[in-house]
Amino acid sequence: MLDLGPVWLSIKVATLATAFDIVVGAPLALLLARRPWPGRPLLIGFLCLPLVLPPTVLGYALLLLLGRRSLLGGWIELVFGASLVFHWTGAAVASAVAAFPLFLIPARAAFLAVDPRLEDAARLLGRSNLSVLAAVTLPLAWRGLAAGVVLAFARAVGDFGCTLMVAGDIPGRTQTASLAIYDAVQQGDDARALGLSLVIALVSIAALAAAQGRDRLPEPHL
Amino acid sequence: MLEVDVERRVSPTLTLQLQLRLGPEIGVLFGRSGAGKSTLLRLISGLARPDRGRITLDTETLFDASTRISAPLRRRRIGMIYQDDLLFPHLSARQNIAFGLAGQPRLEIAQRVHEVAALCGVEHLLDRRPATLSGGERKRVGLARAIAPRPRLLLCDEPFSALDLARRNALISRLMDIQADQQIPILHVTHSPAEAVALGGRMFLLENGRIAAEGPSIDVLANHALAAVDWEPLTNLFHATLLDQLRDDGASRVQIDGGPALIVPRLEGHAGERVHVQLRADDVLLARASVPGLSARNQLPGAVERILTHGPNVEVVVQCGEVSFLASLVPSAVRQLELAPGAQVVLIIKARSCRITSVEESAEAERRQAHTPGTGKQ
Repeated sequence: MLDLGPVWLSIKVATLATAFDIVVGAPLALLLARRPWPGRPLLIGFLCLPLVLPPTVLGYALLLLLGRRSLLGGWIELVFGASLVFHWTGAAVASAVAAFPLFLIPARAAFLAVDPRLEDAARLLGRSNLSVLAAVTLPLAWRGLAAGVVLAFARAVGDFGCTLMVAGDIPGRTQTASLAIYDAVQQGDDARALGLSLVIALVSIAALAAAQGRDRLPEPHL
Repeated sequence: MLEVDVERRVSPTLTLQLQLRLGPEIGVLFGRSGAGKSTLLRLISGLARPDRGRITLDTETLFDASTRISAPLRRRRIGMIYQDDLLFPHLSARQNIAFGLAGQPRLEIAQRVHEVAALCGVEHLLDRRPATLSGGERKRVGLARAIAPRPRLLLCDEPFSALDLARRNALISRLMDIQADQQIPILHVTHSPAEAVALGGRMFLLENGRIAAEGPSIDVLANHALAAVDWEPLTNLFHATLLDQLRDDGASRVQIDGGPALIVPRLEGHAGERVHVQLRADDVLLARASVPGLSARNQLPGAVERILTHGPNVEVVVQCGEVSFLASLVPSAVRQLELAPGAQVVLIIKARSCRITSVEESAEAERRQAHTPGTGKQ
């Protein structure tokens, strides 16, 4: 029987990573879609680095940042009593960082596509900034945001190099499906590799289908 | 009452510097593109800030540079309609109209939406999305959305410029209905003389950021050498009531508010129904006395009030009861008839020259028109 543990771990890791990307990325995308300021192009470039850096380089950078001897890593260990490194939450952080630009770019494009004059019209009709965001900006940017969520989730599920660097490949603890498939292939366990691959493919297709389901058919133009 | 006294540098070559007072009436802000019309609306609505001066509406100061008061957009209670409509595309017409009513009891919202939808003739469109509406329908939904929260001022930023003349005139009639109903100042930006004349009201002629002239639209237009402006055919717009059907020849009679009765093409409807009458100034003939044996069905006595010359054209304003008719003539006709202010004349108007739309039906007619291919969307 196929051990689905790595798949569940992958879903858990990718879900947490995607949630992190949404919480951090959505406000950032909105900020970066609004009026320009001097450092903006530089910041956008920096945030998109995970897209162009080799995953191992990214993982190594995270290791330096979050490792026990680093300032941030030491603080996390002090507060939470555990380190992110070689822990499944470390895998989540790694895939969140790797997937971040894949959420940020479509999300920013979605906010850019919202006509700011519509937001002004809403304000003139008596709505507060928060209300304008909820009633106009987010509904109009919804499709782009959803596309970003699906892309980020798929990337997080598929992450290999960055996760391996930060969380290692500990079966039952940090071994996600991607790592487990690699192990299975190395050990010549073709049945396991194929089984896990199929399940992961199904998960990805289901995520895509769920995003499609949110799209309503355009109303007939009469 | 809107009072504006502001200064704002727009570009190195244009500084807006003007004073303007507008009571509960229609004010027409007229000028070429680049004269500062839209900038002025942005200053009043709060989308931009003046460098100096103050803006007050009724008793409230919206902006004062000296005390650094600037009321936020959402507290200004100003309605606005736009050239691009700016309806919320993800909401139905009903939700668009109710947008400015958020926070009120549900029953009151429904009631108010119904009320303004009737006033703007969009009751049958309430469940449709903006993308499925024709240009004129979108304008009317935008108008309903703007007046639903009972604004203290309505700003119109060239809202009708993309529409054809007939549809534009129908909307102008509606805007005049709304002014009569709400009794608020309406500041309407346009660069169309025909639109300005049809709206009547007080015109503010904006040139290089300053108000160059102010007064009745037709006077300002005629007196300020607007030969360079492209004059479209001017239109008389009247509000009227359907009187009766003439049995013998398939025509109807309408009573113009404060003016004469007019024989018009047959109009299905019941006596007492409110209608809008459109009559092009080109189609109005003048005679010094009534003419026997004429096919035109209307001969109305009146008195010349003013004669305005612009370029090769002459507009004669004829008082008839409490309303004035506009007749476009050529200068030689004016000479031949020896027309001068005070002269008694007869207006000759063919029934077929009058375009009648019932207030309720105009919405219906436009919808039918919108459904024929090629005319629906712009």
